[in-house]
Amino acid sequence: MNAPSKPFRFVSSNRRVREDRRFVAGKGRYVADIVLPDMLHVALVASQYPAARIVSIDSSQALAADGVHAVLTGEDLAAATDPLMNGLDTPRVKRYPLAVDQARYSGEWVAAVVADSRALAEDAAELVRVDYDPVAHVVDVEEAMGSGSPLVHPAHGTNVLLDKTFNWGEVDRHFSEAAHQLDFRVTWGRNSTVPIETFGVVAQWDPWAEMLDVWASIQMPKYSDQIARALRIPLNKVRVHQDVDVGGSYGVKRGIKHTVLAAHLARTLGRPVRLIEDRLENMRAGDAHGPERIFDVSVAYETDGRIRSMKMRATDNVGAYAGRAPFQLGKPIGAIVGPYRIESVRYQARSVMTNKTVQEAVRGFGQSPTNYAIETAVDKVAAALGMDRLEVRRRNFIESDQFPYLIPSGTRYDSGDYHTVARKVVDAIDYKALIEERDRLRGEGLLAGIGIASCLEPSGGNSSFEPLLNEKNETTTWMDSCRINVDGLGYVTATIHTTSAGQGHETLTSTVLGEVLEIDPERIQIVRPDTLSSLPSNSPVGSRMAIMLGGAAFKAAEKLKQQLVAIGAHRLGCEADDARYEAGAVIAPDGKRIEWAELVNIAHRRYHDLPPGMTPGLEATHIMQVPTGGKLPEDGRVQMYPCHSFEFHMLLVAIDPVLGKPEIRRYVIGHDCGTVINPHIVKGMTLGGIAHGLGAALLEEFAYDAEGQLLAQSFMDYLLPSSHEVPHVEIVHHCTPSPFTVFGQKGSGESGYLGAPAAISGAINDAVRHLGIGFHSLPIRISAIGDTVAEASDTLKKD
Amino acid sequence: MKPAPFDYIRPDTVSNVCALLADNFDARIIAGGQTLIPMLAMRLARPTLLIDVARIAELRRIEIDGDHLVIGAATRQAEAEASPDIARYVPLLHAALPWIGHAPTRSRGTVGGSIANADPSAEIPLVAVTLRAEIILREGEDEFIVPAEDFFIGAMVTAAAPEACLTAVRLPVWNGAVGVGFQEISARRSDFAFASAAAQLSLDPEGRISRIVLGVGGVEDRPVAIDLGEVAGEVLDRRRLSDAVASGIEALHAETDLHASAAYRKRAALDLAVKAVVQAHSNASAALETRR
Repeated sequence: MNAPSKPFRFVSSNRRVREDRRFVAGKGRYVADIVLPDMLHVALVASQYPAARIVSIDSSQALAADGVHAVLTGEDLAAATDPLMNGLDTPRVKRYPLAVDQARYSGEWVAAVVADSRALAEDAAELVRVDYDPVAHVVDVEEAMGSGSPLVHPAHGTNVLLDKTFNWGEVDRHFSEAAHQLDFRVTWGRNSTVPIETFGVVAQWDPWAEMLDVWASIQMPKYSDQIARALRIPLNKVRVHQDVDVGGSYGVKRGIKHTVLAAHLARTLGRPVRLIEDRLENMRAGDAHGPERIFDVSVAYETDGRIRSMKMRATDNVGAYAGRAPFQLGKPIGAIVGPYRIESVRYQARSVMTNKTVQEAVRGFGQSPTNYAIETAVDKVAAALGMDRLEVRRRNFIESDQFPYLIPSGTRYDSGDYHTVARKVVDAIDYKALIEERDRLRGEGLLAGIGIASCLEPSGGNSSFEPLLNEKNETTTWMDSCRINVDGLGYVTATIHTTSAGQGHETLTSTVLGEVLEIDPERIQIVRPDTLSSLPSNSPVGSRMAIMLGGAAFKAAEKLKQQLVAIGAHRLGCEADDARYEAGAVIAPDGKRIEWAELVNIAHRRYHDLPPGMTPGLEATHIMQVPTGGKLPEDGRVQMYPCHSFEFHMLLVAIDPVLGKPEIRRYVIGHDCGTVINPHIVKGMTLGGIAHGLGAALLEEFAYDAEGQLLAQSFMDYLLPSSHEVPHVEIVHHCTPSPFTVFGQKGSGESGYLGAPAAISGAINDAVRHLGIGFHSLPIRISAIGDTVAEASDTLKKD
Repeated sequence: MKPAPFDYIRPDTVSNVCALLADNFDARIIAGGQTLIPMLAMRLARPTLLIDVARIAELRRIEIDGDHLVIGAATRQAEAEASPDIARYVPLLHAALPWIGHAPTRSRGTVGGSIANADPSAEIPLVAVTLRAEIILREGEDEFIVPAEDFFIGAMVTAAAPEACLTAVRLPVWNGAVGVGFQEISARRSDFAFASAAAQLSLDPEGRISRIVLGVGGVEDRPVAIDLGEVAGEVLDRRRLSDAVASGIEALHAETDLHASAAYRKRAALDLAVKAVVQAHSNASAALETRR
């Protein structure tokens, strides 16, 4: 679109990440560092039942305890607030920060205790007597859809929140024409991103200014809107301070219920209130579990390996309430065929409630589970045809000359060169030698397998899935913004209108501005105004900030440059079109020039030297619409995200057949996210994403027992990969610029995570295929590998 | 995750510890705190008094006593790991120590704390049971010696009375061509083991097994010793070894949990036990070679 023809000065160079300095030195400023005078602390009373009517709550003993200021029940809070927002049109699924009348999952908050310290609040929380009447519960998603199932929200009449079928193209014809078809089921386990910092919020109400001030560990689009609505106060009375570092998120730091609760308490008690989840509260009631999804997939394919059509049914267990999570079934529609030329797709999306913790957005917003299902299909086609899995992928890849490529569900992929990225990985890993190494390991008595996954990272986060899944929602913009101010001494300050959870947005913005203005990025100050002083932002979701914040910064800088050129040309007595800008100076065709300092001086002090009609000062703002976005869906089709990064994973795994523990011997990823703005940031995202994907594939699960109790309530049982488990990963780069972005950049915030689970699962299945077994649900625990292999070996021996 | 209220005291002597234990039924001893502190934070443990023994000098020692090595209960695991005496005289413990948690937890965690805590998959209790160690307890002014195999009763349950202070562990020192093997499997490095095995054997000058002990952890609710008497007196025969280990493990009772099935634990234990003995044998053979 505007890709400059000059070589980059700062973009793509290995410049240090400016935020890293404060994080590495331990000098970040997190919500727990916000200490206000007279601040009170909250502890929560949690339901021990997955489903129980709340008969009564006796707070008298708790209120009599040391340092206790209040005990709030769900009933009291519901009377003073409106329900939290639902994504879908499900008005009878009412959700409040504290359970009202009925607790709907084990761990759900039933009452809040406010005291002088968190410890005192916890002491008193034990003294709150809740009289429960347990009722029937359901945790299994298919059981929850059955006619006799207990209802999580009886008023809603069913546990199903969404059951929508899309037909994109001639699915039935392709299935009848194709030479073969196969069906399978895979299950994505309930995992999440589990940040080091739990969610936290500090709320303060000033009754004289009638102003709510909020500091929070937040990554949430339209955060203050939702708080204002729930609290029934004007949005211009909610001031969220965005200069708070967020200690990890990747989707889950939403915190609406926490914030409404803390804000209500601050308003009623007249004192600042802090609510910081402990690990237990975070894991069972932070409402931050990720998708838990069953995929039933059929594919129709030809003898040469070409996949013609796919039917996919995704059934997602969203837990006890309807938040934004059901949309995680919608976003993957924008890459529903992966990097392949699948001609038609039938997609049934089912979102179902159970008595489990509420689901929230997780890195990729449903894309990684979907990629796992698609990649499993490709592996199965290869196995059925006796073909090499790499070759099947190659035969199905969209060709580089086919872009922009319209997929059946309505999204046009921007650009890509999948064959080249795959070839680079094959060369780097030496695929032939890798196969030999696998076979050598097998000869030593180990199970050994190669995993391959190729997938897309849709990026530039739009919100087109909202109108697609909810007809009452007409959202067609998901803008982001940047403002640049050049002060009277010539220094540049630019704004970010959101918090960041480690994505390096300050580095991003300063690099982009430095590039356009041709000045040292280190000299550019980046600030985060509070929400009342902010331009619109939709926060760093959907791998969007390189595209959207980077794009907004670029456009604002271009506007600023135009002002500088106009000022300079006027002063030099030439036309603006004839003057040129170079590294802060404006130069006339005759070579005369005006330097930065004088341009600034004119703008700020010498109105008489400004071009007629020009406003004084030097400021530029850009509010950016998502490229390619802006239209409502038609016929169940919509352009989802603008850009599509590509990743190609290949790895070798070795497994002791008795102990079952997969050991990754080699891991190479090929990555194409267009123009890289900061290589360190992209590398960190990719390596972290693979670690996260390894957790999803092998270790992490918020598992429940049949009684509806969460079994993984701490890091003793919710197993995150440590540095011992994450292998050395080699990254191979490729750059196919996006035609829709200012530098050709695409997103990278979900890279690695989107393909690693599929690739690791594929490797393990390759290792055990000769035994006639396979693993079709994640995580694949080492005990399950050991048991299944032992069983298969026994069977083989008997045969 | 804030502990319920408690008092804290740091006495100077074991006698004072015992006096405090006798007078306070709800007291708990704390040393490294690597298990107790999280349990306090989750309010799974709610003592009214914490007695800190970490700095009591008489509890921090590593010394030879006849044919035993004595390790004071408050000796840090990191100190034990670095001890040349432990490496020389109780090589099985030396081999097991790096498997405990991570370096930072070992710098706080103590040898006695791990024994007193009695986690079924903990390494030091496994070594103690395998080697037939003796656990030294003090109650008031009385000292008791409890064989390790009698000390561990179940998961986090021991023979120590509430008023007892664990003061030391006495580990037998073997002579001759000794080799050790230690094996463990867990979902992640240094997690609680699904199964673990510790083996120690010595060889006579002809290479026959003169003594052999084997222990298995993580399978039952406490570490158990497996009798391998029938392979002693002979050179190592892999098949006989496997059969002997298998019959020992067959008799064990395992539980299924979120992370591993009972069948897996036993199958892994068998595999690791054989590997541990083979490792011990190979080390002993190397020792024998050196002595020649």
